[in-house]
Amino acid sequence: MEIDKKEVLRYMGYKNQIIDDNMTLLIDECCLEMIDICRESSVYEIFDIERKNDQLFLLGSTLILKDSDIKNLLAHSKKCVVMAATLGTTVDSRISYYSRFNITKGLIMDACATTAIEYLCDELQNVVMQNALKDGLHITTRYSPGYGNFSINNQLEILNVLDAYKKIGLSVTENSIMLPRKSVTALIGLSKMVSPKPQVSCKSCKNVECNFRKDGGQCAK
Amino acid sequence: MPNKINFNNFLLFDGAMGTMLQKYGIKMGELPESYNMLHPEIIEKIHSEYLGAGCDIITTNTFGANRYKLKNTQYSVEEIVESAVKIARSVAGDKFVALDIGPIGQLMEPLGTLSFNDAYDTFAEQIKIGAKYGADIILIETMSDIYEAKAAILAAKENSSLPVICTMSYQGDERTLTGTDPLTMVNILQGLGVDALGVNCSLGPNEMLPVIAEILKYSSIPVIVQPNAGLPKLVNGEAVFDVHAHEFAQYAKIMAEMGVTILGGCCGTTCEHIKAIKGELIQLIPVKRDVKRITAVSSPSLTVVLGEEIRVIGERINPTGKKKLKEALKSNNMDYILQEAINQRDAGADILDVNVGLPEIDELEVMVRAIKELQSVINLPLQIDSVRCDVIDAAVRIYNGKPLINSVNGKEDIMDSIFPIVKKYGACVIGLTIDEGGIPKTAEGRLKVASRIVERAAEYGIDKSDIIIDCLVLTASAQQSEVKETIRAVGLVKATLGVKTTLGVSNVSFGLPQRELLNKTFLAAALTAGLDAPILNPMSQAMMATIHAFNVLWNRDIASKKYIKTYSTFEGSPTIQGKQLTSNDRDLNRVIIDGMKEEAASLTKELLNTMTEMEVVNKYLIPSLDIVGQKYESGEIFLPQLLQSAETVKKSFEIIKERMMASKDKKLSKGTIVLATVRGDIHDIGKNIVKILLENYGFEVIDLGKDVHEDVVVEAVKNGNIKLVGLSALMTTTVRSMGETIKALRDNNLDCTVLVGGAVLNEEYAKMIGADYYAKDATQTVKFARKLFNCE
Repeated sequence: MEIDKKEVLRYMGYKNQIIDDNMTLLIDECCLEMIDICRESSVYEIFDIERKNDQLFLLGSTLILKDSDIKNLLAHSKKCVVMAATLGTTVDSRISYYSRFNITKGLIMDACATTAIEYLCDELQNVVMQNALKDGLHITTRYSPGYGNFSINNQLEILNVLDAYKKIGLSVTENSIMLPRKSVTALIGLSKMVSPKPQVSCKSCKNVECNFRKDGGQCAK
Repeated sequence: MPNKINFNNFLLFDGAMGTMLQKYGIKMGELPESYNMLHPEIIEKIHSEYLGAGCDIITTNTFGANRYKLKNTQYSVEEIVESAVKIARSVAGDKFVALDIGPIGQLMEPLGTLSFNDAYDTFAEQIKIGAKYGADIILIETMSDIYEAKAAILAAKENSSLPVICTMSYQGDERTLTGTDPLTMVNILQGLGVDALGVNCSLGPNEMLPVIAEILKYSSIPVIVQPNAGLPKLVNGEAVFDVHAHEFAQYAKIMAEMGVTILGGCCGTTCEHIKAIKGELIQLIPVKRDVKRITAVSSPSLTVVLGEEIRVIGERINPTGKKKLKEALKSNNMDYILQEAINQRDAGADILDVNVGLPEIDELEVMVRAIKELQSVINLPLQIDSVRCDVIDAAVRIYNGKPLINSVNGKEDIMDSIFPIVKKYGACVIGLTIDEGGIPKTAEGRLKVASRIVERAAEYGIDKSDIIIDCLVLTASAQQSEVKETIRAVGLVKATLGVKTTLGVSNVSFGLPQRELLNKTFLAAALTAGLDAPILNPMSQAMMATIHAFNVLWNRDIASKKYIKTYSTFEGSPTIQGKQLTSNDRDLNRVIIDGMKEEAASLTKELLNTMTEMEVVNKYLIPSLDIVGQKYESGEIFLPQLLQSAETVKKSFEIIKERMMASKDKKLSKGTIVLATVRGDIHDIGKNIVKILLENYGFEVIDLGKDVHEDVVVEAVKNGNIKLVGLSALMTTTVRSMGETIKALRDNNLDCTVLVGGAVLNEEYAKMIGADYYAKDATQTVKFARKLFNCE
């Protein structure tokens, strides 16, 4: 596990303010502590895609994709990777602890964890990409339920298909909150063509108040 | 129908259900339990195949047959469990049918939203139906969370008379996903009275061996192992288990020779695996194990064993003689209690005593809440301390782990009311050497009472390893001649009964000057006599130093490691926190703006020598906060820097509040505000940021926490006659419950203003759900509150 400090700062809304030694030290400490308490785990499966009645069926699983954004992402894909990753429960309880008794550290740890789960997903995506390349396939970007119009309700089905609770302890509440908190589910398409980037614009996302968007940035790297 | 199950022999379970279902074409994501209804012939066939392979027990296809997992399906728990048990029963003949109970699939509080009682009800429903249709055993399996396992075991034992087996799943680091180690698991589950315990799933047989060895070391009941057929390896994008039948059986043989008596298979195992194990078991006889009982208490992730190093029981969470704690309990201020716990832990306490007995409060309710809150923050085992039996019962029931009960004594009626609780929940208990005749004067008299406690406990099936005797400390000022009798009694009780001992050390000095001197001298004497776990104030450096020193001198702190670590850098070592202040920046304004929180307390104290509390607030705290707020809004500083300053002010405020409480001066509060993260939502960093800033400006905040039901908000607003409520939600899915909370407040005709915030909200959305105002961040909330309460 590696945590990119620049990313941590970005998640905290950093815009080149002057940071004194104490704060620098604190952020460094938090990065190390986060790496220490992460119990990262992940799981993925690859399915063939069948297209029928304007829907995408992931063969051998119960997943059926109907939302236009995810169908666009997979427009040229013949296979689909279904993945889930988590940092584990210790990260949650530590963040919760600090957010009550040392809120500064709570906030920084939260940003560290967000950076860490993205890193974990990037690593997993890398493995997927390397394996796909061996078969002459290219990957699309990674796309998660809740982005664009890809309904967040797909989370439950993705976790069921992956048997994620049993395998990596990942669950989802009735309100579609994944627990442990620092977790991701996502789909990646595998296609013979190199997919044009970026396929997904920030503008199609429902989170209109997002701070990254206001600043003209993007939540995904 | 089979005979009664015999746990003295080997018992062979079946292998995986899921793996077999995949063979028969189940899709990934499909509900395996639906096959009980849709394809009963397949389930029947799988059971028959396992029976044919030679297993003694088949497991019903009910792993996920609970109300949460079945919620959005067309099936009820009743029909799934009924059909599953009937199918198994129809082919089992004289073999046993185990009702399979898997995890609910939701995280429990405090990490998740599933409460202990809901988990219990969910399991109870499955178990009642399973027992009704003829299951022979209850198999609670693949648990990661020991708290969920406890709920399931209690549900099994309170709703059926069937034998109960419980297994948990371990990761490569020899802990479950929620952090339970093997010793802790054994200590808790054995206490709860299961018939067998062990490990299954997640790992292959080879990876499980160290976990199994550890379990066998401590478990005096039969041990079960159901490994996966190795660790899954990805072959052509598919997970494959590659430990085949013969190799698997060789591992089973090794396990049986280690002392495991119940075997079976989990993911990836098939009839071939079971048949191969059977072939090995026929040639073996169960190993007789001689397990030495230990005295140990546990939190979910930490077990404290008595009798090795000296263990400190922290006494600070007890309102007797503590004004601030009394205030905190009366005003439901859990943060204060939690801070006491954290301080004691940091000072080196191993176990924390929790006593919330005050006549003015509902002790039961506050105790349950305190236990839950404490366990969400620290992982030390707790000692549940009350004179009320119903309070102990409720607290021990919801406690996560194996607690220590404080206390029982030699009085018959007390023993009759406390021992059943100790037995049922598998707790440890402190036994005071006092009975109907009072405290015996002599050591021999106290031994007599202790002996009777141990004997009566045995009649309830409680092993003496679960009893810790307190020979009771008398005060030197009143009963000087009897002080040394306590020391003698400790030695006598240990030598005669072989139990562990505790003492409330600081009683000895009551009413005399320089109490610490007497306390530490008495402590040293008691330790020498064999005291295992003194109850004391860990914040006292002298007391802790005596213990550190004793552990060195009595060869308990091996190679003096702990001692050296504590004392070699005792003087003059540089700290990394905070830069040293020079004389000209010893200014509280500067300190706040720069967020140097370590300096705030001492500077505030200094200022209070020449100023009133209000002057410090108005001349220093508020103006500095305003400057910091402006800097934040203009982008000169960013959020962590704002918070660093807020925490600095908080430190200063704590000193000021303390002074005001002591002087009974005018009230500081600018108004009281209720904050809550709404039902279903568990993101509360944002709310906590708002809280600290509001407190900084002198508002009193009633923080209801996260995942708060609307009724709780209504109740708090009603009771406190609250004028401003702040609600937060982070998900589009939970904004709905935000709307419902606002509606509940309006329906109750409560005259309060509702302010909302959270990432997915905006002005428009806030209006739509009936909120009065929307605040985009914490500083805006503060501005609004100051306006509403006319503070500007």
